[in-house]
Parts: sequence; structure tokens; C-alpha cells
Amino acid sequence: MKETPQELKIHNNMKKGMISVTGFLGDDERHYHEIIADDKKNLEKIGLSADKIADRLEYFSRKAFPVYDGTTIIDEIYQVEYRSYRGRIMCPFGHGGGYRKGEITLVNLQNNARLCWTPLNEHMIRTHCFFEGVGSNHRLDPEIIKKALF
Amino acid sequence: MACEIIQTVFIISVITGFLALLLVIAEALFVNYGECRIKINGKKELVVQGGGSLLSTLNDNKIFLASACGGRGSCGFCKCTISSGAGPLLPTEKPFLSEKEISDGVRLSCQVKVKQDLSIKIPEEIFNIRKFRAEVAKITDLTYDIKELTLKLVEPGTISFKAGQYVQLESPAYEKSRQSVQRAYSISSNPYQDDMIQLIIRRVPEGICTTYVFDYLKEGDKINFTGPFGDFFIRETEADMLFIAGGSGKAPIKSMIEFLDKIGSRRRMVYLFGARSTKDLYYTELFREYEKKLTNFSYVPVLSQPSEECEWKGRCGYIPPFIPEFLRDPVNTEAYLCGSPGMIDAVKKALLELGVPDNKIYFDSFA
Ligand SMILES: Cc1cc2nc3c(=O)[nH]c(=O)nc-3n(C[C@H](O)[C@H](O)[C@H](O)COP(=O)(O)OP(=O)(O)OC[C@H]3O[C@@H](n4cnc5c(N)ncnc54)[C@H](O)[C@@H]3O)c2cc1C
Ligand code: FES
Ligand SMILES: [Zn+2]
Repeated sequence: MKETPQELKIHNNMKKGMISVTGFLGDDERHYHEIIADDKKNLEKIGLSADKIADRLEYFSRKAFPVYDGTTIIDEIYQVEYRSYRGRIMCPFGHGGGYRKGEITLVNLQNNARLCWTPLNEHMIRTHCFFEGVGSNHRLDPEIIKKALF
Repeated sequence: MACEIIQTVFIISVITGFLALLLVIAEALFVNYGECRIKINGKKELVVQGGGSLLSTLNDNKIFLASACGGRGSCGFCKCTISSGAGPLLPTEKPFLSEKEISDGVRLSCQVKVKQDLSIKIPEEIFNIRKFRAEVAKITDLTYDIKELTLKLVEPGTISFKAGQYVQLESPAYEKSRQSVQRAYSISSNPYQDDMIQLIIRRVPEGICTTYVFDYLKEGDKINFTGPFGDFFIRETEADMLFIAGGSGKAPIKSMIEFLDKIGSRRRMVYLFGARSTKDLYYTELFREYEKKLTNFSYVPVLSQPSEECEWKGRCGYIPPFIPEFLRDPVNTEAYLCGSPGMIDAVKKALLELGVPDNKIYFDSFA
């Protein structure tokens, strides 16, 4: 498919070493449009929406944010740690407004499912339904999200 | 039917895309904005070639507004007030501007294109900002994830800054980054040492600039930075001072305390430093020395998770519950905070609850 200049820019932003060292696509050879379309189908299959997932991720990050130097147990079964760093990172889709640098790690103590995400992931899921390419260090697989958070 | 709709949408997308591409190419090749005048603070006037962003045009004329994202519109550092000639506000700018700033004509200079004469207002301190070339004189490991960089200035040979300010370090394009990026780092040395600066840098996993500093930068290398920036500096009053820091947040506080020592300050100062465990502590001896040198200074490390083996005898837990112990007169206290956003948030909340006025709690915004 022919890309508009805007799409080309987004695609470029997602490559390794542009906005982040590891990029947003991993070793996934699909176009980001396809990644989004396939994940939309995955969401349908598991009966969740991007908004619902973003709400849930934000629920945990909001609760863990004030516990800045350690882990916290949320709702008895979620062990969450929020490491926040100074500075902001931009969204590869070119949105204004930077997103806090940081890493939130959650372990579901009931089933041991583990998830690691960043504030930028929360934004990309809600606004772009983008879960990143397969092989990206920050890829959030909807199936794993379901197992860990719902 | 569905197939026809998809086909039509596809054709329209291709045509729109093609037209947009043509427009970009045409603008780049044929649009000439000619000479434009930028009037600064009603005094200085620059005659520039139009077409570039205001940020880069000012940079070309050695006027350096802050920028941590290289003009991509993601850091919000490059604000300046434009009274005429800026064109409409872009959606990329809105998330960074308050209603008041919008009505005052504040814009992100990296998003404003110079297409006609402009009239802008920037703080006078901006004229003190320079681009520096420096040699990496020393790299010291302070902890497993924090390094101290000592940068000896090459050109210009001296810098003038206020304790607490930061610089924008340029990490060049390297194996893991296709382009050079700029990141903000607080200066940890004091302003009396004006032929060098020191920075304290904490590794951010897979971060572009910190990976460069930790895995690629060597002693003897040359590096560029611009600065000084920021309004996080000591207020000249007699109020009590409460410094609270964590992680790499020790940098500006170290600079401030060294400065206060140099000027022989007798203000009452307490420095609470939060870390996880003893392996995250550094400069302890240095601050113990300042306790002896300064008449009214105490250094209090607080560990949130001291390991059992280390037999930590100091305070354990998070900083907020320990604040009241050191707060003599909340209304007459200035708090200087630096650390992770989570820490700043929690500490600021506690200070407000204890009665420290909001306008006396200082920290780097956007950090
Ligand atoms: C005023 C100010 C002063 C500062 N002073 C200091 C200081 O003295 N010392 C110090 O150490 N730091 C300081 N900082 C922070 C510093 O500027 C940098 O932001 C920090 O070092 C990280 O930069 P980086 O290039 O290594 O990380 P970057 O590469 O810019 O960002 C890495 C982060 O981006 C996110 N990310 C990356 N890739 C992805 C992906 N694919 N999907 C989702 N999320 C992703 C993650 O959260 C990751 O942690 C300061 C910041 C400010 C604003
Ligand atoms: S330079 Fe970062 S927003 Fe303008
Ligand atoms: Zn976005």
C-alpha cells in the first residue's frame, strides 16, 4: 500500500534507534497498520476493547505511582512496581505531549502472569490500538494482558 | 458492496496521500519565504532566511531555547511568547500549554515556522545560553546504575550558571541510535568551578542517551552540550531549607550545597536522601564532610528496602513520614526537590499537608 508522508513519518519513527533504542516493531515485518488490524481481531476474539485495557493499565499505574521506591500489592493479588524516570518520550504517531519515561511491572500472584509496560504503552493502546510489533521489548500481547489483568 | 467501499476508500487514500506528498515536495522546492525579521524583546532584531522552525532559526543565530526532543514537539521545553507573526496554534502544541499561556501568546518555538516577520519575547537569561564542546575528563561509577561525568570545557572555556540548573547533553548518532538526541542533565558541580561541569547520570534501561553514556562514551572523548537552563535554583532568603532527593536527583542538590558552603551560608539546611538499599547510596562521606563544614547542615539518608545483611542503622521507609521531624517552621521553609516523578509527587503532597506553601516548593518542571 502506498503510504502518505504522515504514515511514512510514523513508520520511520517506529524503527530502531529513532525515538527509542529498540523501536516499536521488534522483528515484526508487518506494516504497523496490519499489526493494529490484527490486534483488533485479537481483541474481538478475547472480548476486550482497547479502552478497557488502557483503563485497567492506568488503574494499576496510578495506584503504584506514589510507591516510588518499591513494590506494592494492589487488590490483594497484583504485585506492582513502578520505576519512573525523569524526562518524557514522544509518541511515534507524532502526538504532541510527551509521555513519562518509566516502567511498570505487574505480577498476578494467582496465576504468575507477568506484564511490563510504560506510560507510552497506555497512550498507544487507548489512542491508536497499538500494542507494538511482535519481538518488540514493549509488545503487550492482548492474550497475556487478559491473563494478567482480567 | 463492502468490497466496493473498501476499494473507493483505498483509492481516495492513495490520491490524498499522493497530493499531500506533492504539496510537501512543492513547498520544499518552490516556496521561498525570503528574508524575515525577528524582533526580540522589542530591542534586538535578527534578519533571517524564512522557512525553518523558530527554534532552529534562533539556534542558527546562537540563541538557544531549551529543547530535549530535538524539535519534535514532545518535550515542551522550547516555549516562547510570540506577539505577532506566528500563525495559528497547532494541535501538537496544545497539550503543553495552559489556557493562560495560550491567551498570553506562548508557543512551542519548534512548531512555529518562520514565514513572515515575528515579534517574540524571551527571558534575558537565554542570552547566557551557549553551545559548549567539552572533553570527558573522567567517568566514575557512583553505584551500579549511576555514573558521574566530569566534562572539561574546551570551547568556550568557561561557563556561568546558577547551582541547580541543567544542561542539554548531546548524544551523537551511534550504533543504537540513528540520530543525535539531546537530554537534560542537572549540573552537580558548583558554579565556582567554571572551567568544567560534572553530571550524575542514572541508567534508564534501553534509553538512547544513557546507553550511550554507559556503554559507549569513554574518557578523552569530546561531547557537546548547551546550557545552562532552568529555574530550579536557590532563592536568596533566610528561610530554612529542606532538600529532598532520590536517585540521580542528588546532582543539583550537590551543586547547591557546595555553593552554599563556598559562600559560607549559615541558613538551616536539612538534606533527606531516599534510596532503596545501601547499594544505592553514594557521596555519603562527602555529605558527612559538609555536616562538619557547614554550621547548620544535616544529611539524612533514608532507605526504603535495606537488605537484612547490611545492618542499616539509619532511618527505614519512605521519606514523607520523616519530614515533620526536620520541619521547624513550615511557612518559613523552602523545599528543593529532585528525583523520580513518583518521589516528587509523594513528597510534594506531604509538604503541602504539613503547611509548606506551594510557592516555596521548587523542582524541575517536566522532569
Ligand atoms: C530538567 C531535567 C533534568 C534532568 N536531570 C537528570 C540528571 O541529572 N540525571 C539523570 O540521570 N537524568 C536526568 N534527567 C532525565 C534525562 O533527561 C533523560 O530523560 C534520561 O536520562 C533518559 O534518557 P534516555 O535517552 O536514556 O532514554 P529514552 O530513550 O529517551 O527513553 C527510554 C524510556 O522510553 C520508554 N520507551 C522506550 N521504548 C519504548 C517502547 N518501544 N514502547 C514504550 N515505551 C518505550 C521507556 O519508558 C524507557 O524507559 C533530567 C530530565 C529533565 C527534564
Ligand atoms: S523542542 Fe521539544 S517541544 Fe519543542
Ligand atoms: Zn499518540
